[in-house]
Amino acid sequence: MEDIDGGEMASELDREEEESATDLLRDRFRLCTISIAEAEAKQCGMEVSQPIMACISDLAFKFAEQLAKDLELFAQHAGRKSVNMEDVILSAHRNDHLAASLRSFGNDLKAKEPNLERKRKKSSRREDKVVRDVLRTPDY
Amino acid sequence: MCEHPMEKENPFDPDLVHEIFKLVWKRKAAERGKNEISENMDNEVGASSSKRSRPTFANANALKLSSELLRVFVAEAIQRAATIAEAEGSIKIEATHLERILPQLLLDF
Repeated sequence: MEDIDGGEMASELDREEEESATDLLRDRFRLCTISIAEAEAKQCGMEVSQPIMACISDLAFKFAEQLAKDLELFAQHAGRKSVNMEDVILSAHRNDHLAASLRSFGNDLKAKEPNLERKRKKSSRREDKVVRDVLRTPDY
Repeated sequence: MCEHPMEKENPFDPDLVHEIFKLVWKRKAAERGKNEISENMDNEVGASSSKRSRPTFANANALKLSSELLRVFVAEAIQRAATIAEAEGSIKIEATHLERILPQLLLDF
């Protein structure tokens, strides 16, 4: 009896610790979301109301958690213990535009690796533009 | 014009994304470990269980790509909501605008 109680206490403590870690991450994540959202809104000449900001950052956090689960499953399915870029691209397979833009971003990253400082900057700028153009034509 | 590169180079921090992923994977690995222990209670709990319950890890480029994906997600949410808000002649994105775009956004990601 005592044993079980002790076990539960320990798991409870564990869970609490984990929750506080999650909260901390969520807050840091929110700050990132807000900076992106504000930059994006400024570009469209819009304001974002505070509750919507909270909504979007929670949404993005949930999305990130789901993404983590997907990536783990994809990697496992491929018989790997580590997630690589293919898994991330696969996670966007429902949306051709998105998959294509991620692929080009990924190729960009790969091209950067054996790096030549000047060449890298040039090509990445150009690629960015292409990505932007692809994203600017969403079919609502 | 000069905003674009800045904003481009400053998406979600891959380290932050990594920490979120690690947390989720640790949780999952712990769950797997627990299941395994209860499964082979009478079996010897050997090295095999710890092997299977070891968390997943990710390489650096995958994390950068994931943070880009998250950035695009947020950017799309704002841009689509802004389109709706503009159509309604509002300059502030409110809940109704987000509600309108949410279903399609979630289907697209």
